[in-house]
Amino acid sequence: MSDAWVWLAAIVALPVVVIGVSFMRVDVDLLRRLAVASAIVMLLAALAINVIPSLRDLSIRTAALSRMPGGEAVIRIDALSAALLPLAAGLWLLTVAVAPRATLDRRSLRRTALATFVTVASFLTESAVVLLLLSVASFWTFLAALDHPAQRHQRRLVAVYLGFSTLLLAAGVLLLVGPGAQNRTIETAALWLIAVAALVRKGIVPFHAWVPEVFDHGRLGPAILFNAPQVGAYLTVVLLVPRASPEMLRVIALLALMTAVYGAALALVQTSARRACGYLFMSQSALVMAGLDCTSVSALAGGLLVWLSAGLAFAGLARCVLVLEARRGRLGLTTYHGGYERMPLLAVSFLSMALACTGFPGTLGFVGEELLVNGAVDVFPVMGFAVVVASALTGLSVLRMYFSLFCGRATAPLPPGLKLGPTLREAWTFGAVVLVLVGLGVAPRALVDSRFAAADDILRRRQEHMAMPRSGEPYLRDGSAPDGSPERRMTRLTSSPKGR
Amino acid sequence: MTPGLPLPWLVMVGVGSPAILFAVLGGASLVDRPVPERWAGPLALGSMTMACAAVLLAFIVLETAGIGAQVLSYGAWSASHPGGIAIEFLVDRLSLGFAALSAAIAGIVSAFSHRYLHREPGYTRYFVLLAMFVTGMMLVALAGNVTVLFIGWELVGLSSALLVAFFHERPAAVSNAFRVLAVYRISDAAVLSTAVLLRHIAGTDSVSLLFGGGVAPAIKLTSADATMIGVLLIVAVAGKSALLPLSSWLPRAMEGPTPSSAVYYGSLSIHAGCYLLLRAAPLLEQAPAARLLAGALGAATAVFAAVATRVQSDVKSSLAYASLTQVGIIVVEIAVGWYTLAFVHLAGHACFRLLQFLSAPNVLHDLHGIEGAIGDHTSPGGGLETPIAHGARRRLFLIALERGFLDTILERAVVEPFVRLARALSRLDRWLCAIVLAAPGPAADGGEEDE
Repeated sequence: MSDAWVWLAAIVALPVVVIGVSFMRVDVDLLRRLAVASAIVMLLAALAINVIPSLRDLSIRTAALSRMPGGEAVIRIDALSAALLPLAAGLWLLTVAVAPRATLDRRSLRRTALATFVTVASFLTESAVVLLLLSVASFWTFLAALDHPAQRHQRRLVAVYLGFSTLLLAAGVLLLVGPGAQNRTIETAALWLIAVAALVRKGIVPFHAWVPEVFDHGRLGPAILFNAPQVGAYLTVVLLVPRASPEMLRVIALLALMTAVYGAALALVQTSARRACGYLFMSQSALVMAGLDCTSVSALAGGLLVWLSAGLAFAGLARCVLVLEARRGRLGLTTYHGGYERMPLLAVSFLSMALACTGFPGTLGFVGEELLVNGAVDVFPVMGFAVVVASALTGLSVLRMYFSLFCGRATAPLPPGLKLGPTLREAWTFGAVVLVLVGLGVAPRALVDSRFAAADDILRRRQEHMAMPRSGEPYLRDGSAPDGSPERRMTRLTSSPKGR
Repeated sequence: MTPGLPLPWLVMVGVGSPAILFAVLGGASLVDRPVPERWAGPLALGSMTMACAAVLLAFIVLETAGIGAQVLSYGAWSASHPGGIAIEFLVDRLSLGFAALSAAIAGIVSAFSHRYLHREPGYTRYFVLLAMFVTGMMLVALAGNVTVLFIGWELVGLSSALLVAFFHERPAAVSNAFRVLAVYRISDAAVLSTAVLLRHIAGTDSVSLLFGGGVAPAIKLTSADATMIGVLLIVAVAGKSALLPLSSWLPRAMEGPTPSSAVYYGSLSIHAGCYLLLRAAPLLEQAPAARLLAGALGAATAVFAAVATRVQSDVKSSLAYASLTQVGIIVVEIAVGWYTLAFVHLAGHACFRLLQFLSAPNVLHDLHGIEGAIGDHTSPGGGLETPIAHGARRRLFLIALERGFLDTILERAVVEPFVRLARALSRLDRWLCAIVLAAPGPAADGGEEDE
């Protein structure tokens, strides 16, 4: 067994160990410490995979689950997934390190480990069937987290929306791997089904209504863990981008851009911090989908960067809200809650993560958004202006949240001696998130290059898929039509960067 | 010393010095170990002095070598693909002159603030934000492309809003900071849109290629394109320099501590827009309609501010409007094409107004001293309004008192329709949820903002 397999096994085994131990009679505090330690080790191992190229050298391919010539990789680590593994590990660490003790009981710890396992497993495969099975598992895990009677409405909402999404995904995948998959019409139908499934899961307009509602009245913690890794975007990258027509990708991108502006605008008028978080998440995650339009390698790399920055920054921001709620109860945005002087560290962390969400210079979000805009500006200038508007509105929304949550005079004075500042674990975790977002924003070169490599990979796979012959609409291996004319779909697939 | 050799290093020190100060003060605060007052102030002063000295030396090197303008490149974000953002600075007389002015004024304000804010709870926070501001100003001054300019523009805007909310326990200060930020976001969006449009039209956002950088621009745009970009730049300038119709935030910004008001709204930030217009002057020359618009806005702003400043009841607001009058005139000078005069006016006014703002807290004390010396009350004397008929003067007074009704107009024309639309969409989302659940709306406690 090569080193790569050992590292991968270690990564996947860690959440499984936590799940296993959670069934034993172990003290919850001890279980939590085990989960924190496992998440830290998992994060370090995932980072090592990014740093040491030989650890990415693994792949298991099979033709049993696919009609693709040569089959699909059931397990593999490539440039795309290598950077997503630390994101999944980081989100797990963020959850188990800062979630208030009252909300993180044995079952919750088990669920977070399971959700992380499912996310990591999803990022390791490109098989449509395996992704379908993992989507079902992820849906079930999220639904199970909304088991409180007070959340029955939200549970039903999730069941309807995400159940619908999973059904569409199942239908699409079955068509894609079924006997008629080589037919262009059947493949197109399958891809549209998968596209709608991904849009629902990502909360893209008009399939978005469940997101703010679940953030607001459901459980915010599981909602963060379910949404922040953006498995819907991963489905799009792996299943749609290689096969979809430019028109389909353009429709997805336009809906995503509309969502980015819509979410940012509506976040600005919400009175509940949680609901504002929901709309902000919609807006941020939509930018990732917009980048997947494949306009250019720069735009695609920008989208992949926004994926990482928005995932981490948004999760940190929402976790900050939960940490504040543990001290103050539900947070409205119509008054000033005060408290900067009591918890300056939390305030500065919140502000930094909020700015990273908006793509403020000096944070990773800025790098992603700039690449996205820069890459798309020639072919798709609408994207540039939509990102500008979304960014301006998001900036106002998050600053409004910051002012409301940390400024003003606290209504209830604290009894002397009582400290409400962040615990050491919270302080370290939020500080680390901020350092990552700012550090990678100031010195982004290595990450940018890795995202360019991932974007190149994605575009190359797309070119290979497009060059394959179909029974309904034959194409030659080089991507040209039989009559010798250049194939129209290939015109926007160039991987040459659009530099200045 | 080879003239060309130290220039990149000097410019790097000029920009890097306040940036490092920001990182040190901000980083220490982030790990809950804020730099103590006895270190923070002198550190800030030292950093600003170093930045000023480096930029002045760069100016001397540039002049000695007889180089008109030079683009300094500090690499790009990506090593493998050229599509990333390039960190470039354009050094010429204009950029180095404005950068030196910024660093010098920031140094003076640092020295003043060290004593003025002694034992203030937010002392370190103030210097963190001041360092962020100066970094932003240096980037704006020296930007070699519009993206770098945007980075500086954003840093200036955010630090400004956070300093307006410096006394964050006061709801009015926070609410005003949000209003200021809202206008700045319009300005930021305009700058970023300019970058997007320039890349789309010209394939580059390089300042030296598009705006000349002391020589004729290398890329000629069509009149329509130049007009479109010129108008976007004017929107950006109007937001940052409080030109009409975006002037209403200026008195609100006076909530911050006096030294920050001095450096932002008396001397530097408010002139950043004028500097941008000066920088983009070669492009504006290709767009007569945009020049006309700039001139008209500048003139209207000067007249409006001259009237408004006469009825302000606090000295800082009065000084802010007085600044705005001069800013309007500087914009007119740029629109007319008197660039040298505009820059001299800008530099002189920035220094003069800084002095006025910094001495504002002592104004009553000084007045009492003067009155004590002459043994009688001083009288305000006759003003420009004397020849105006009584009725017109009352109407003018009302307009000035209400600050041109700009807040009301913006509220009714922009904010209220936006909020109404967003509320309606928010209700639609809830209704969609209710439809899906086939049950009454699940939430009664959520709602929309009354802002």
